[in-house]
Amino acid sequence: MPKTKSVTRRQFLKGSAGAAAAFTIVPRHVLGGANNTPPSEVFGAALIGCGGRGNGTFGAMGLEAKKLAICDVKFVGREDNKTIYTDFRRVLERKDIDVVAIATPPHWHALISIAAMEAGKDVLCEKPMTRFIAEGRAVAEAEKRYKRIFQVGTFGRFGKSRDRKSIEIHKIMASGLLKKCEGVHIKSGGLKVKQWSGMVNAQPQPIPKSLDWDMYCGPSPLRPYHRHRHGGTHRGYWDYEGGGLADMGQHHYDPVQWVYAKDDTSPVEIEAYAPPAHPEACGMWGWVELKYADGMTFVFDSREWPVNGQPSYDRKEPREVRLSDLREADQREIKEMPDPEPLVSFAEAVKTRKRAGGNADVANRSATLMHLANIAIRTGRKLRYDPVAEEIIGDEEANRLVNPPMRAPWHL
Amino acid sequence: MAKRSSALKKLIDTLPDPDERGLLSSIDKQTVDDVVAQIHEGGRRSLLALVNMLVEPGAGDDVKARYALHCLAVHVCKLDNERTRGAFARTLASQVGGDRPKAVQKYLMQQLQVAGGKEVVPALGKMLLDEQLFESSAMALTAIGDGAAEQFRKGLPKSSGKMKLTIIQNLGVLRDTGSVRQLKAALEDQDREIRLAAGWALANVGDSGSVDLLLRAAKTRDTYERIKATKACLLLAERLAAAGMKQTAVKIYEHLRDTRKGSDEAYVCDAASEGLAKVGQR
Repeated sequence: MPKTKSVTRRQFLKGSAGAAAAFTIVPRHVLGGANNTPPSEVFGAALIGCGGRGNGTFGAMGLEAKKLAICDVKFVGREDNKTIYTDFRRVLERKDIDVVAIATPPHWHALISIAAMEAGKDVLCEKPMTRFIAEGRAVAEAEKRYKRIFQVGTFGRFGKSRDRKSIEIHKIMASGLLKKCEGVHIKSGGLKVKQWSGMVNAQPQPIPKSLDWDMYCGPSPLRPYHRHRHGGTHRGYWDYEGGGLADMGQHHYDPVQWVYAKDDTSPVEIEAYAPPAHPEACGMWGWVELKYADGMTFVFDSREWPVNGQPSYDRKEPREVRLSDLREADQREIKEMPDPEPLVSFAEAVKTRKRAGGNADVANRSATLMHLANIAIRTGRKLRYDPVAEEIIGDEEANRLVNPPMRAPWHL
Repeated sequence: MAKRSSALKKLIDTLPDPDERGLLSSIDKQTVDDVVAQIHEGGRRSLLALVNMLVEPGAGDDVKARYALHCLAVHVCKLDNERTRGAFARTLASQVGGDRPKAVQKYLMQQLQVAGGKEVVPALGKMLLDEQLFESSAMALTAIGDGAAEQFRKGLPKSSGKMKLTIIQNLGVLRDTGSVRQLKAALEDQDREIRLAAGWALANVGDSGSVDLLLRAAKTRDTYERIKATKACLLLAERLAAAGMKQTAVKIYEHLRDTRKGSDEAYVCDAASEGLAKVGQR
């Protein structure tokens, strides 16, 4: 007697009338039973944000995914609302879409991630995860509320989590045995500060007919259109991102945050050396120092200002955390400690419903590093931060940059 | 006045020029700090002269004046002197609502979002009913917070369209219990966005008297509206549970668990079940 097999997505399609017509993706909630895990592995997917990072972000999902919809505010005139969209809300209404890759500019990342999870989708979202701190907490809340999978589009921590030296440092920091941490990690250069600066003298230009500029601005203030505010160079504006620091910082510091076991906290003191910032255009800066409560220090050194090519930070030297920082008895304890659990990739998380390695909680914390750094640059003053309440302490005006108001109808 | 303006213009001109790409790539911190300090020392008259240098986009070159004004806004916050900050904010607010170009008034309100306090809330509130300025006004008011809800409440009955939507949303952001009656009325609005904003606002406020209204709103067959209205129900349940009103939260969770039986909404059923578990019910 042949063994009864459970229906796979592919078998269903072979046998069904639907196979005689166009290829049809059957949503996982139809075949996947109570846990929505389909026997086969083809997922209905959408790409929201089809600029320079779009296809890369879609591919980074690592799933066998059929791209059923693409969406971008620059598709005005091309949209058919069947495969090509300009409004992400219509994409999210589709019941045949299981996963969404988000590659819009960052000012839309949190809102679309949250909306997608509210609609039952899993999300891979480009970095930086957010444009400001409060967005990160809102994404993490949505992830928990709906038990969806969220992964930020930076993956360095996965490599670090398999590197022996990094694992050792992680265990030292996570153990609580290190009573006084003298670690200093400096990211020196490679932050594209000038490259991703904004124009301070942009004059209004006619809006291209193919672009829904109001929707592009979305939650951010509606400014006069200029092509520099769109299409890659959007990185240079506080309204959409936060310069090279926000754009590149999470790539570098997300894995470092894992190494130093700081996934569940944030720095408590932040100080920057920079000229007064422009209100709209991100610009030049020298360094930012972020100190954790246990003494660990992270530093961004631009090497672009005040002198291009020269380090501008000279307060501390880089210093790794070492096993020899501990007493011998504690060193033995670290060696006997089991390694941390392997991090779960987005694809594995979607299939098994385990939490992704770059989930919303940890990604919020690493994005917060960049946002705090930028707030210190923009306010020109030393900040104290409460990592539990996720608020700046004793500086109400700086705190306004933690959760700036959004333009209706958009809100967290 | 002309002499002061001329002297100010010379001072502003010492600020860095944008490079060929429009970036402030060569910027000396000390120069900027010194210019800002000197403008600040000039008091209200210097500040007004600086505001007079602002023009509508495309109508002239006020790049350096705009930069200087923003640096001044940040500077007065740095000084940590309430009187100084308040004086700066009141001066800017006095220039909002008059004959200056709307784009200039928007920019002034942007600076009030940085440095304004309760003292400028009434002036900002008046702009909530201006077709071109209501968004900037709303953002500045909500950033300031203190006293803002009253301005939004006053403006709501006279507003419509996007203006009304903006006001409702910000009442929700501020979690204003004083506007619950008006928010409930907005649940029946013809405009879908206004209905959704009102539902979310009531949830964020945590109004226990809105449970039945929000559950009814979440019955809609319009997919996107259903998604958002359901979120409002879950958010309200969380707010109520946090406030100790567990039984009312349970009502919401049980309703959603028992009514979201379709496979496409199983995740909502799961979310409701999870919520029940968190408040100690199964």
